[in-house]
Amino acid sequence: MANSKLKKTFLTPLGKDNPVFVQVLGICSTLAVTNKLENTVVMTLGVMFTTMLSSFTLSLIRKHIPARIRMMVETMIIATFVIIVDIVLKAYLPDIWKQLGPYVGLIITNCIIMGRAEAFALNNKPGLSLIDGLASGMGYAYVLLIIAFIRELLGTGSIWGIQVLGDWWTNWTIMIMPPGAFFMLAIFIWVVRESFMKEKKED
Amino acid sequence: MDSSMYPIAVFFAAIFTNNILLTNYLGMCSFLSVSRELKTSVGLGIAVTFVMASTTVLNWMVYTYILLPFELTYLRYIVFIIVIAAFVQLVEMIIERTSEGLYAALGIFLPLITVNCAILGVSLFMVIREYTLITSFFYGLGSGLGWFLAILAMAGIRVKLARAKVPPGLEGAGITLVIAGIMALAFMGFSGMITIS
Amino acid sequence: MKKDGFYFLRVYPLVFMLIVTLICISIVTGLHLSTKSRVDANENLFLRTTVLQAADVAVPEDFREVNTLFESIVSEEDSFYKVSRADGSISFVVPTEGAGLWGLIKLMVGFDEELEELTGIGIFAQNETPGLGARIEEEWYRTQFSGKQGPFVLVDEGAGDSPDEIDAITGATRTSRAMLSILNDVFVSGPAVVRGE
Repeated sequence: MANSKLKKTFLTPLGKDNPVFVQVLGICSTLAVTNKLENTVVMTLGVMFTTMLSSFTLSLIRKHIPARIRMMVETMIIATFVIIVDIVLKAYLPDIWKQLGPYVGLIITNCIIMGRAEAFALNNKPGLSLIDGLASGMGYAYVLLIIAFIRELLGTGSIWGIQVLGDWWTNWTIMIMPPGAFFMLAIFIWVVRESFMKEKKED
Repeated sequence: MDSSMYPIAVFFAAIFTNNILLTNYLGMCSFLSVSRELKTSVGLGIAVTFVMASTTVLNWMVYTYILLPFELTYLRYIVFIIVIAAFVQLVEMIIERTSEGLYAALGIFLPLITVNCAILGVSLFMVIREYTLITSFFYGLGSGLGWFLAILAMAGIRVKLARAKVPPGLEGAGITLVIAGIMALAFMGFSGMITIS
Repeated sequence: MKKDGFYFLRVYPLVFMLIVTLICISIVTGLHLSTKSRVDANENLFLRTTVLQAADVAVPEDFREVNTLFESIVSEEDSFYKVSRADGSISFVVPTEGAGLWGLIKLMVGFDEELEELTGIGIFAQNETPGLGARIEEEWYRTQFSGKQGPFVLVDEGAGDSPDEIDAITGATRTSRAMLSILNDVFVSGPAVVRGE
């Protein structure tokens, strides 16, 4: 029983309740850095870390939070974890930190983190909230990683900065420019909804 | 470049060539959910523009006069989001007590704004780019108007779209993203226009 | 405890928020202070790398070697750096900055011994558009300046041959023009700085 709940908590955000293509949430802060796979990996790890630990922390103190200042407390705790990510990146990965610029800070306003805190962490035990946060973060991460992979490959002919396509390849510059991300995400949502979500609707 | 013209250049660049929504994808969440109706889009657009211009100036002051002198710049995320939340709360209270009509029109949008990434984003960009107070104000105002313009255009298109036949998998968010992509392409056409030499 | 008492409604939320804030800020401050020396070392290393790039000296991969190399061949003067290159020649590196499209571009510009031509540039800070203007940091862009003589003119990307031609970046007109104006300025002011005028 407990085990199946755990499994369900973990699997739902990865599949049929994926925050990106079902709810289209939280893409703001990360979409901008998906023109390079390396930056996207760092950014999504940051989001996973923050979602996981803020859900856990909020769940720990959920019985003591006064209802009126709930949002303030949530924001405060999320911001703290984001600053931790920011400081660690600045100290250990300064090159990537420079490239990400303000986008690390914008994890604070990522709707997924606040959304999981409100919808799950405030009503569930810390352990389960941790799993839920991790799974939501992962569900979000893999969608953006796929987008980043395709954008970098088509846009620059390389993956992780290493040239993989030969001279015959003409770079689709539009892919690394802003419109590319919109089109990629739209196509991705379309493909997923057409092929995997259809049966569910007919149920 | 004439330095007195620089704020104006940033103002127009923020609206057209580097629209905060179409090139930085900030404020997408509320953009996708609210752009269904023209009337609500206008309300939210006005509120965002107002809050963005004001909080950019407030955050600039807090950053320059408090965070920088005391070497607390690493706390800026927390401080900025608190300033924004507090400002929105304050405006909501003032509007509620002074103007019933305005509150009815804008009141419901104000809480949505605190979690709008574009507002925090503008403050963070301003700090990284080391803008002066004047430039920051014009940047905030321009970004707000740019966001307003994008959501207004999108709402207008979506009204027409209601009668169009969209493939089922692309309905809702999908088609909105496609339109946003086309809009971003169109806005890229502005990129040569703003030149000051 | 009464759920609707004065304590529960007014005092408790305030105390709670205060405690949460204090804990959060002390964690963040602790982390900030414990990594501060590392962050400063990174900044310094980055500065040194750009000086070496401007002098057209090959930059080692390992950061310890960068520091050793820098200390052995670079001497810091009042407002410029003097770099002794492997072939026995000397390069003078002058820091400069100017307005880009979005904010300040800070860079190091290297001159040859006679102060007549450039040896290279190193970009220290920039906030240009990622994928467009931000490409000024890419190797092909910064290495094109070796042997160039001002006053410069802009030509299409990849077309710069003669000593006064600089490649522009496709799609980043404003950034290319900003770089042009910064480099034209420094080509006059840089030698004066080195000569001590």
